[in-house]
Amino acid sequence: MKLAGLKSVENAHDESVWAATWVPATDARSALLLTGSLDETVKLWKPDDLLLQRTNTGHCLGVASVAAHPSGHIAASSSLDSFVRVFDVDTNVTIATLEAPPSEVWQLRFDPKGTILAVAGGSSASVKLWDTATWNLVATLSIPRPEGPKPSDKSSSKKFVLSVAWSPDGRRVTCGSMDGTISVFDVARAKFLHHLEGHFMPVRTLAYSPTEPRLLFSASDDAHVNMYDAEGKTMVGAMSGHSSWVLSVDVSPDGAAIATGSSDRTVRLWDLSMRAAVQTMSNHTDQVWGVTFLPGGGGAGRLASVSDDKSISLYDYS
Amino acid sequence: MACVYIPVQNSEEEVRVALDQLPRDASDILDILKAEQAPLDLWLIIAREYFKQGKLEQFRQILEEGSSPEIDEYYADVRYERIAILNALGAYYSYLGKIETKQREKEEHFILATQYYNKASRIDMHEPSTWVGKGQLLLAKGEIEQAFAAFKIVLDGDHDNVPALLGQACVQFNRGRYSDSLELYKRALQVYPDCPAAVRLGIGLCRYKLGQIDKARQAFQRVLQLDPENVEALVALAIMDLHTDEATGIRKGMLKMQRAFEIYPYCAMALNYLANHFFFTGQHFLVEQLTETALAVTNHGPTKSHSYYNLARSYHSKGDYEKAGLYYMASVKEINKPHEFVFPYYGLGQVQLKLGDLRSALSNFEKVLEVYPDNCDTMKVLGHIYVQLGQTEKAQDFMRKATKIDPRDAQAFLDLGELLILSDAAAALDALKTARILLKKGGQEVPIEVLNNLGVLHFERGEFELAQKTFREALGDGIWLTFIDGKEKSSPVDASASILQNKDVHLFQQLEKEGHLIELPWTKVTTLFNMARLLEQLHNTETANILYRLILFKYPDYVDAYLRLAAIAKSRSNIQLSIELVNDALKVNEKCPNALSMLGDLELKNDDWVKAKETFRAASEATEGKDSYATLSLGNWNYFAAVRNEKRAPKLEATHLEKAKELYTKVLAQHSANLYAANGAGVVFAEKGHFDVSKDIFTQVQEAASGSVFVQMPDVWINLAHVYFAQGNFSLAVKMYQNCLRKFFYNTDSQILLYLARTHYEAEQWQDCKKTLLRAIHLAPSNYTLRFDAGVVMQKFSASTLQKTKKAADEVRLTVTELGNAVRVFKQLSAASNLHFHGFDEKKIDTHVEYCKHLLDAARVHLKQAEHDEQQIRHKQEAIRQLALAEEARRKAEEQRKFQAERRMREDEQKRVKQQEEQFERIKEQWKSSTLGSKRRERSEVDDEEGGNSEKRRRKGGKRRKKDRSSKARYETEEDEGEIMDDQEEVEDENAKTNYAESRSQTNDQDDDAEEKASDPLAAAGLEDSDAEDEAAPGATISRRRRAWSESDEDDEQVERQPESSPIIEDSVDGEVRGSGGKQDGDGAVNDED
Repeated sequence: MKLAGLKSVENAHDESVWAATWVPATDARSALLLTGSLDETVKLWKPDDLLLQRTNTGHCLGVASVAAHPSGHIAASSSLDSFVRVFDVDTNVTIATLEAPPSEVWQLRFDPKGTILAVAGGSSASVKLWDTATWNLVATLSIPRPEGPKPSDKSSSKKFVLSVAWSPDGRRVTCGSMDGTISVFDVARAKFLHHLEGHFMPVRTLAYSPTEPRLLFSASDDAHVNMYDAEGKTMVGAMSGHSSWVLSVDVSPDGAAIATGSSDRTVRLWDLSMRAAVQTMSNHTDQVWGVTFLPGGGGAGRLASVSDDKSISLYDYS
Repeated sequence: MACVYIPVQNSEEEVRVALDQLPRDASDILDILKAEQAPLDLWLIIAREYFKQGKLEQFRQILEEGSSPEIDEYYADVRYERIAILNALGAYYSYLGKIETKQREKEEHFILATQYYNKASRIDMHEPSTWVGKGQLLLAKGEIEQAFAAFKIVLDGDHDNVPALLGQACVQFNRGRYSDSLELYKRALQVYPDCPAAVRLGIGLCRYKLGQIDKARQAFQRVLQLDPENVEALVALAIMDLHTDEATGIRKGMLKMQRAFEIYPYCAMALNYLANHFFFTGQHFLVEQLTETALAVTNHGPTKSHSYYNLARSYHSKGDYEKAGLYYMASVKEINKPHEFVFPYYGLGQVQLKLGDLRSALSNFEKVLEVYPDNCDTMKVLGHIYVQLGQTEKAQDFMRKATKIDPRDAQAFLDLGELLILSDAAAALDALKTARILLKKGGQEVPIEVLNNLGVLHFERGEFELAQKTFREALGDGIWLTFIDGKEKSSPVDASASILQNKDVHLFQQLEKEGHLIELPWTKVTTLFNMARLLEQLHNTETANILYRLILFKYPDYVDAYLRLAAIAKSRSNIQLSIELVNDALKVNEKCPNALSMLGDLELKNDDWVKAKETFRAASEATEGKDSYATLSLGNWNYFAAVRNEKRAPKLEATHLEKAKELYTKVLAQHSANLYAANGAGVVFAEKGHFDVSKDIFTQVQEAASGSVFVQMPDVWINLAHVYFAQGNFSLAVKMYQNCLRKFFYNTDSQILLYLARTHYEAEQWQDCKKTLLRAIHLAPSNYTLRFDAGVVMQKFSASTLQKTKKAADEVRLTVTELGNAVRVFKQLSAASNLHFHGFDEKKIDTHVEYCKHLLDAARVHLKQAEHDEQQIRHKQEAIRQLALAEEARRKAEEQRKFQAERRMREDEQKRVKQQEEQFERIKEQWKSSTLGSKRRERSEVDDEEGGNSEKRRRKGGKRRKKDRSSKARYETEEDEGEIMDDQEEVEDENAKTNYAESRSQTNDQDDDAEEKASDPLAAAGLEDSDAEDEAAPGATISRRRRAWSESDEDDEQVERQPESSPIIEDSVDGEVRGSGGKQDGDGAVNDED
């Protein structure tokens, strides 16, 4: 397997680019790359030349995460002002603004069917689930607080939920926290199932394998990517090699590789059969906040990465 | 049978004295001689006969009698015989002197001899035999030059005086002029072909010395032909045989030696050689016997020294260093100059080295080196001695020389390399590489230690690939390869139980079950450890982990592996596991200072202050205060104790600071190059406000810290930045913070971002400040102080924008948005405070919310105003534009009109011409028909047209004038409005001014605050630097090296730990930031008063 650089856009945003995701193709157009930045904008790019389609404003204090509905028509972004904005991809019309005070919003993901939007709830130590039809809060999946007379400010700030992921069948939601714990929830019953331990530093991204539904990858500040059997509570392995925080991880559509982006300014491609890094891209000059594979098998494999250096890069994955 | 006949006085009779029947008592003969007044030559003959028979007493008696004053008187005219007697006595005493070993008696003998010769000389100055005798005496006394003069006198008189020739030859021989000596011997032989074999011996020796070995051999053989029992010749031949260095030669030589020994068992030379031989055959008993005999029979210095040497050697090889030393010493004493016989010095040096007397050994080896300036072994030994004496530079010099002289001596390169490891890694690397190549060329296996050291050197230079290759080579085949190559991965473990993961040996047990042999030779543990360390450095933590565990699986007492595992766990912030591992290490060695230091750090991380202090104390005690790390940690502890409290107790603070300083100074006194201690001292200075001093210190530390893989000191960068900040040099501070972030933290440290934001804030770069804080929030979303600060910045930005006298609508609009954000941030914080997410006071936040809302309202007014202004300006611009348009249109119309007029005129002209023509035609026709009415009509038509035109023009002009008027009016009204607005602004301004004044006074406070705060971060940063530890100077030996290595590990792991120690800081810094919050709060309060 191999990554080959296709195109890079310097100064794609005015400030650090913090989030990226692919908006699936619709009948009218092909898939687009959606990026969010500290410059309070969300931009849409058309592959493979990364032509800027549109710049969407209306966000405050920097965009922390973006997510696209599987239909490809709507997308959501979360920003540091703790709002989630849901908007129409093609028109930038705001469909809904979600907030669940007093908690922050961090990473967000639509479920595979597109009926629910899961939002990492920051200091509320929970994941909020929003119905995508009514935009009502349907459930709050809370991490059980450790026993104790009263939650000290320390422990709660450590349970700050950063990342969230859906299992491919949509039955499970996992979330990662500042203290490194990963919690698995049953969506249907809105019930906490168990923790996955192994990290003791913030888990910034979680990703399920599209081919093996139980296999979960976690990217953490401890410079490791851990592999879990999310159902069996077991850690399958750990991959080290980054020299600083691993900020993001994504699994290739064929399930054979993962890509990671790290504070060490590199994007790495890992062969899962060897559990070793097979390629290191160092075209970014600052932290790589997001890596994302173009979903769906067949066709050309594409990987996009975004970085604090304000640039976005597109690679061919084969 | 030889007889002498003593003539009887006054008769023809003679007394016959059989020479072999001389009476025992010499007095009998003497009586006869005296009574018969026998000629003096008879005396001499008889005396000589006694001498030959070994009756020295009688010999002396007769000669002494024969040289008594009475005889002198009686035989006054018999000069020659008298001289002969005296000379004989002189020669006798010379001989005695020569063989006498006791110095005093020796001298007495020589004095007597001298007296006799002098007496002889008084009888006849020119008697050659006297001179010869004197010459011999001088020779015996070692006064070669005078002897030369004496013999010369003789030879000048008589060219062919054989004794003189021989004497002179001897002199020349001793002077080392062997060819001259040889000439003299030859001449003696020519003059006196029948001279004793000894002369040929001399020739042989000369030739030997001249290197003409074959001729020498011939000479010696000739001697033996003449005198088969000539021991010297035998010995000489034997030596020559021995020196052939061939087995047969040696055997032959030994046979000859043996014969010589049989002939004359007291020839010291032969004895020595025999001893030498038996030394090599290992028959030490014989050696001792022979050498003891040799010592007994000789008093020839060099020979004796040789004997002692043999004896010493024998003891040396038996391991009896005391005795060996004594005999070497004795041997050395017999030697005047080391040049004559240098081996005992070497032996003595070796023994002294063994016995630990380095200085004496040194001087002995240096003597050897004087004689053999190119002797590699000696240089190497000297090198080692200098190492042990701590004079590394000299040691290196010697090693370097040794390697230069023999560039194929792998051992020398190895030694050199090891020596250089500490001082000059690059040179050490070269040396070791050369050694490796040499060893490989020689077909020898390269010792694992060498490869290990090579690897470490590569590692230290940051050449990780090479290091890895070298370690691999050193490790060879083994179970570890499967781990390193990643063939074997740790089996899945229960994720909830994975907390114990770093400790389990499950994997290895399973492998063993599967039939794999898990072996790890002790010699390879060090290298394996280093390999793991390297993998760690390469961020291949997983494999490193397995390797450490492998080491522990086989060697559960390997403390360093525990510590590394603990360090890994710590770097992944798995504190609990880390503590467990350190405790495991402490179980092995409860006084291990490294483990204790680490435990202390971990306890600090857990906010266990008192415990941590105890642990650091214990660590310090475990090393008797020599471990700088523990001392430094204590210093840091004190520093933190000084600055951690929110409410500062100045007294307590001062004592803690003082203590911290004392501890840092202590470390610096022990290791003047300890960067961490210097950094700490700098922090204390900064804390006390001596920024210039601290800046100097930090700058120096920063310079020193750059250039090593293992020394990474971001703290000093931060501290330097703090100092810049405190001195108001914001731009430099910003640069410094940014560089530090980038260089050391991959821009991931939110704390430094906070410092950076703070600097931007002071520099009133609000947007930069806000962006920086947002970045920090993005990195550390659960840090609410960052959010609070972000809110404050937005508030501040808005307030300051609103205070500006001139502001664009965009600016104001931005202000409104920012205020909206600020309100949202504060509101959220306020809401969160109910849940105790952070330590802010709700009221405080509410005040901020209120103030921001207040500002927001004001801003909205401003915004309306500004938008209004903008609209008006837009209107105005529109008007101007329209005006311009109208003007344009007018101009165009004018042109058009002109053009039309011209055209009309032209047409008119044409018409007129035509009309005229027509008229002319008509006139012509009138002339023919003659009618007037039509002509008038034509003219009126033209007039009409002209009038219409002019009216049109007039109308246009009027229009313009009107427009002018109206626009003027509008300007005026605008001015009015402007004035009104100005008034408004003034009112606002006053407001603002009061605001400003108050905030100004506050800024001053802030400045103070800033300094305090700056030092706070200093404090924080100071904490991180704790990890010092100048490596204890490791010795040259590998084991030490290894230890040093692990020490450096410790170091480095501590360095690594730094970033993570910030959580601790955060706790203390929390207060600091809160302090800043408080200050901001004050800000809010003041504004509220407004």
